[in-house]
Amino acid sequence: MTLTGLFRHLFSYRMRALVKKEFNQIRRDRRLQISLVLPPILQLTLFGFALSSNVSDLRLAVVDDNRTPESRELISTLTESKSFRLAGYYASVDQLGDAVSRGDADAGLVVPYDYARDLARQRPTTVQFLLNATNANTATISRAYAQGVLQSYNVNLRQNGMHLQIQPTVAPNLARRGQIQLQPAFLFNPGLVDSWFIVTGVLGLLLILNSTLVASASMVREREAGTIEQLLMSPASTTEIIVAKIAPLFFLLSLMMFAAIAVLRLAFSVPFRGSLLLLICAGCLCILSGISIGTVIATFSRSAQQAQLTSFFLNPPLASLSGALNPIEAMPKWLQPLTVLNPVHHFAAIVRGTMLKGGGFADVWPNFLGLFLFTLVLVSLSVRRFRKQLS
Amino acid sequence: MRRILAQSRKELTQIVRDWRTLALALALPIVMLLLMSAALSLTVYDLPIIVQDFDGSSASNHFIDVFRASITFHVIAWPVDKPAEAALASNAARAVLIIPPHFGRDQARGVNSPVQLIVDASDANTAKLVSGDVLQIANAYNQQIAAPAPVQAAFRLWFNPGLSSKKFYGPGVFVLALSMFPPLLAGLAMARESEQKTILQVYVSSISAHEFLLGKIFAFMVVALGEAVVMSAFLFTYFGLSFAGDPTPVIIATILYTFCVASFGTMIGVKIPNQTAAMQAVALGGFLLVFLLSGLMFPVQNIPIGLRWISSFVWGRYFIEIVRDALLQGGGWPAVWYKVIFIGIIGSIFYLLAWNGMRKMQVKA
Repeated sequence: MTLTGLFRHLFSYRMRALVKKEFNQIRRDRRLQISLVLPPILQLTLFGFALSSNVSDLRLAVVDDNRTPESRELISTLTESKSFRLAGYYASVDQLGDAVSRGDADAGLVVPYDYARDLARQRPTTVQFLLNATNANTATISRAYAQGVLQSYNVNLRQNGMHLQIQPTVAPNLARRGQIQLQPAFLFNPGLVDSWFIVTGVLGLLLILNSTLVASASMVREREAGTIEQLLMSPASTTEIIVAKIAPLFFLLSLMMFAAIAVLRLAFSVPFRGSLLLLICAGCLCILSGISIGTVIATFSRSAQQAQLTSFFLNPPLASLSGALNPIEAMPKWLQPLTVLNPVHHFAAIVRGTMLKGGGFADVWPNFLGLFLFTLVLVSLSVRRFRKQLS
Repeated sequence: MRRILAQSRKELTQIVRDWRTLALALALPIVMLLLMSAALSLTVYDLPIIVQDFDGSSASNHFIDVFRASITFHVIAWPVDKPAEAALASNAARAVLIIPPHFGRDQARGVNSPVQLIVDASDANTAKLVSGDVLQIANAYNQQIAAPAPVQAAFRLWFNPGLSSKKFYGPGVFVLALSMFPPLLAGLAMARESEQKTILQVYVSSISAHEFLLGKIFAFMVVALGEAVVMSAFLFTYFGLSFAGDPTPVIIATILYTFCVASFGTMIGVKIPNQTAAMQAVALGGFLLVFLLSGLMFPVQNIPIGLRWISSFVWGRYFIEIVRDALLQGGGWPAVWYKVIFIGIIGSIFYLLAWNGMRKMQVKA
């Protein structure tokens, strides 16, 4: 078939009638409409606002066995930082331990009785930090914070220290070796806004899962109502039926995608550093794979309820093995390769690559290729299943 | 009592007959437990890092070796003349460490030398972990080559000394699965009665609304308890958890929680007499609320205040705290008593709402 032939075919009267029928059906289905509008706004905002890994204002319980100006200065240096706030003083380590177990405090600091004396004698001294490590992530980050605060405290001590009174009279120690001063810079997201990571991941989940849901619901309805026989008796070919079924869904889901991108921009001020076109192309591929997954599910189910139950089996692995909400490097090694088979993973990489990092096609082409191949396989599989069902 | 048991038996028979429901009840919670706990983890290992060494001295090599030895990073090769940002943009590396020329000479002269670390912060949490780890490595290195700092900290990590995120997310996903599958089954069963009009048979029989509802709820409590037992077998083996203190609060809370979720599902089924819609409602309440607003992934305190008040009504939040306390912190009754009571109250509210919808035992006009 030549290209013009194909076009004439696509815009034939029969085709237009079929597409119009689909639009009418969607227009009359209230629930389908709701699931086109509500999820992008509700899910994106909920996930973006509710999931925050921010570590701040940890309640610090203190046992100060020293009770000197020096120890109080250390405590106030720690509690003045944004990461910790004072939860209270305790008389003994046991009481502090109870407070942490009960959940009254997240961390504990124990200053030894000889703290100020050791400082005055210029002997290294050790303070103890107790961290509630139930949540490994929070514990790791708060440990780094505490270390950072202590480091700057140490630098201050060295420079204009509290041991001024015993200023050494000898020349600077020649045996001292220079130290490393780490200067971290955070590229792409200097403010460390963590909603940017979450919402870009949720965008991919939303496109795939919502397309699956909408497609399977609309495909299975024809079957439930038994009108699929009527379609078969009409002069329309199977290709026409399939295209007419997919095109309106694709159109509406694309509108949903634009709404979601607008939410990303307006509610979360996610930067748009790269090419928007690339993002939209990837989004369209995502929608197509979602529709295909939905179609395949629909061909395996006899009722809307069955289709929905089946998606319960499919969604958890799709969502959890995608790296949408957490870095892939945090998964067990044997699970990591499975993410290559997940369109959400590729889409998330493309979104983050273009929007946050400002990369172009040259940076994200492997993911783009993966997403494209995946879509191709899924679309052909679903068309095959659908044809089989029709004949 | 006899009628309640008969009603429960009928429900359980219906579950066993449909393979989809049976799989949903037994296999999915375990799959979810294993997959989700792995997928929620934020603790990263083996991150690719690039070291651009402009010095090439023995001192800089020594410093790079420290990174090669760490389990958090693996050093990958990158030409010195290529801009480091390109590696971050194409996901080849998560961070770049730049060692300036004169690094070794500065060190020998006793001058502090700056080392730049560029972190890909598109994932803010991982960026914090990376910079924290690099800071720790640099600190350890400084201690090795120079005089120790005046004040040092000895960190003791309580309750989870290996910083295993599995131990944190395992109990959370356990609760999530219990909040999702039993109410889903209960909601479907209840909505099916209305959809297939078998509810009329119930109306004309001599069973009372309380007996009917309790019978249904009891059946799904049995299912939920079964799931809880199977999943805790995994928690105690694969996740390496054990009771850290008094196990009675968590046992009582589990029984109350199964009542709570079974009542929730039944209530949804009573209020929404349509299986597809009931399923969506349960997914919204069971999954989304418990997943997002219960402190499963991140602390509840991080939720903005406008949303945080909702989490005080989320039943899963209290149960997650109880399970984590029992398996990790061991605070026992003094730490969790009121949370057990909250679960009971929320469950009773669900039950009363369901009863309110069923009370008349008549077809709605």
